[in-house]
Parts: sequence; C-alpha cells; structure tokens
Amino acid sequence: MSEARMSATTLTEAEIGRANLSEATMSEAGISQPGMGEASSGQPSAASGDVAGMGVAGSEEAGRGEAGVMTDEERDTLQEMMNIAFGRAAASLAEVISIFVCLSVPCVQLLRGEKLTAYLEQVVGPGREISIVEESFWGELQGSAFLVFPSGAGDQLVPLFGDEETLYEGEAREDVERDALLTTGSILIGACVGKLAELLGDRVSYSPAKLVAKRPGEAIPALLCDPEAIAIVLKTDFAFREESVEGFLFLITSEQSIDWLKQALADFLAQYEG
Amino acid sequence: MAKTLQSVLIVDDSPISRKMLKSCFPKDRGYEFHEAGDGQQGLDLYKELRPDLVTLDLTMPVMDGVTALSEIRAFDPDATIIVCTADVQEKSLLEVTQRGAFLILPKPPSKVSVLEALTKVEESA
Repeated sequence: MSEARMSATTLTEAEIGRANLSEATMSEAGISQPGMGEASSGQPSAASGDVAGMGVAGSEEAGRGEAGVMTDEERDTLQEMMNIAFGRAAASLAEVISIFVCLSVPCVQLLRGEKLTAYLEQVVGPGREISIVEESFWGELQGSAFLVFPSGAGDQLVPLFGDEETLYEGEAREDVERDALLTTGSILIGACVGKLAELLGDRVSYSPAKLVAKRPGEAIPALLCDPEAIAIVLKTDFAFREESVEGFLFLITSEQSIDWLKQALADFLAQYEG
Repeated sequence: MAKTLQSVLIVDDSPISRKMLKSCFPKDRGYEFHEAGDGQQGLDLYKELRPDLVTLDLTMPVMDGVTALSEIRAFDPDATIIVCTADVQEKSLLEVTQRGAFLILPKPPSKVSVLEALTKVEESA
C-alpha cells in the first residue's frame, strides 16, 4: 500500500481478505475449498470443491499443511504462478485441439509425504475409478505431475482429435482412448510445468507421459510418500466446456526443491519491488 | 486530447497479483489505487468510486471477471477496463473483447507491458 493513496472508501487488505481467503489459507485452516468459478463464464461450478463429481476435496485431514515451511507470501506467489502456468497450458491445448478449458483458482498445500495418497483418495472420492496421466520432471524444481480424469474421459476426448471413425479404424478402442488421454495430459502437463519452471528461472526435463493407475491409492510413487518428506502440492481444477469433462492437475515437488524454490520465489518477487 | 488517468481499481483475488500489478505502474504519476478481491467487490467499488481505469482478473471467486466486466459496462458503458489475466485462450480473449474490455494484459505483468497499456488508454480519448 506504500505508493497507493487509499481512500476512506477503499477496502482494507483485511476486508479484501475476509471475503476472499486464499484456498491455501483455507486449506491450512481445514476449511473446504471454495467454488472453482462461476457458471456464467463456463467455469467449473462445484461450490464445495467437489471436483468433477469425483468427491469432496479439502477435508480437515487432507487440508492440513505443514506450517512454517513456506510463508503466506511465498505460497500466494506460487499459487499465482500456477494460475499463470495453467492458463498458458490451456491455451497450448486449445491450439492443438478445438477445446475451451474453463479454469479455476489453484491452491497450494504443503503435506507430509505419507499423507499424499490419503489426500488424493479424498480429493477423488472413495472407490471411484479414474484415469491418471503422470509425468515426472527434473530440474532445480523436480517432482511429478498428475492429471486426473474421471473414468471414461478418454472416450469423450477422442472426438476432439478428429473424425472418430478414422481414429478408431483398425485400432483397439482402448488404445485410441488411452492415446487421447496421454496426448491431452502431455500437452497440459508439459506446458504448465514448463511455464512454471520458466517463471522460476528453471528449465526442466520430463519423462514420457504414462497412464499410471485407475485408483488413487495406487497413483503416488513410493519415493514421494516418504513420511519425513514434505511435498508441495499445487492443484488446479479444470473443465472442458465442449465435452463436459472435468478433472484436475496437481504437481508434487520433492522436499529437496523447497530451499531452491524459496529463493526462486524471492528472485521472482524482487522484480516487482521498489 | 489525451485521457488523464488518476484513479485505478485493481480487481484480483490474489493479493500478490495485485501487489505485482501495482508495482508495474509508473511511480511518478501519483496514481490513486483501490483494490478489490473479487468481481462483486470490484463492481461495488466501481459504482462507489467511478475510477478512471479498472484492471480485472478473470478467474475469481464470488463473481468472475467476465461477469464483472459485463456488469460494470452495463452500469457505465464508458468504463475503461483492462483485463489482466492468465487465461490467454483465444476464446477467452475474444469473449472479453466482445464484452467491452479495452485491452488484454497477459499475466505476469511487467513495467513495459503496463506502460504500453496505459499509453494506449491515454491516447484513446
């Protein structure tokens, strides 16, 4: 506020914040995540954080973070970077296939590695079959990205890639649907992680995209589930307006990335100081 | 005659994003900044303050930027609104342009991109 001459009628930071707690803050407090957007712009509309009809997110257990690892400002910055990165990813996907991706406000959480599987199970909902596309990434920032779709999304995505008859001709239906999921996942993950890394002054390499699991309990690699490790979870919900497919992308970065990440966030913010 | 900008309303749910954008405005022009954390607050403040310029994020809780844009323009067809967004999909940009956004400023903002936008606004009068 230093340069701003705030008038008496302008909302104070506290007033702005009251009406608009960040998801990270709310999750820390064990509060369910807020709605993902407004129906009028075609954004996902699950007001309780029920993602893609895939269960209720942000329960007290899943939502607790690891206080003290990152400041509020660092998490806020990371959340904004994720917002920018996924926006670019959506635009990249729209260039390849004719689709409009409805975006939502991302959230950042810090979780112990041992809680990651429980977190994912709670976000998805008990017993639901899903399709998860996973890509690992390596740079100063390293971890894994997971794109989670409800089961059956592949079937809905295939028509976006061209004439169905041609695409399915001579191919097993399952293979074509898997390719549609992998291609979609690869574009979204690659563009999102790439932009995030760019904003942080990093460059990352990727593993090939793969379909990893049909159940959330099987998705998180054991390496990331170390009880002593703290993972940063960046999650954003999305919906494809044309095909009514909803899902979410989340990134888990390893604890080894945290010190570097904190410095990179400080460097990013420094360009906006003074 | 060039338009003079004095008061600016920044509407964005992210405090850090508001801070970043504000820091990109030229320091020597004495802008008066006001802030809102969602589209509804932005609309209410617009009606109260009638600022010279509004910057509007699109993805926000309570009321999103597209709705806020329409509501503000319905209240004041002469409102000058810059959409500052991470959603750079062509369809989104087309939609906000059709709804009366003056221009679109992709996130993250920079001093150069903000200055260019301000110059366009000032020269538009």
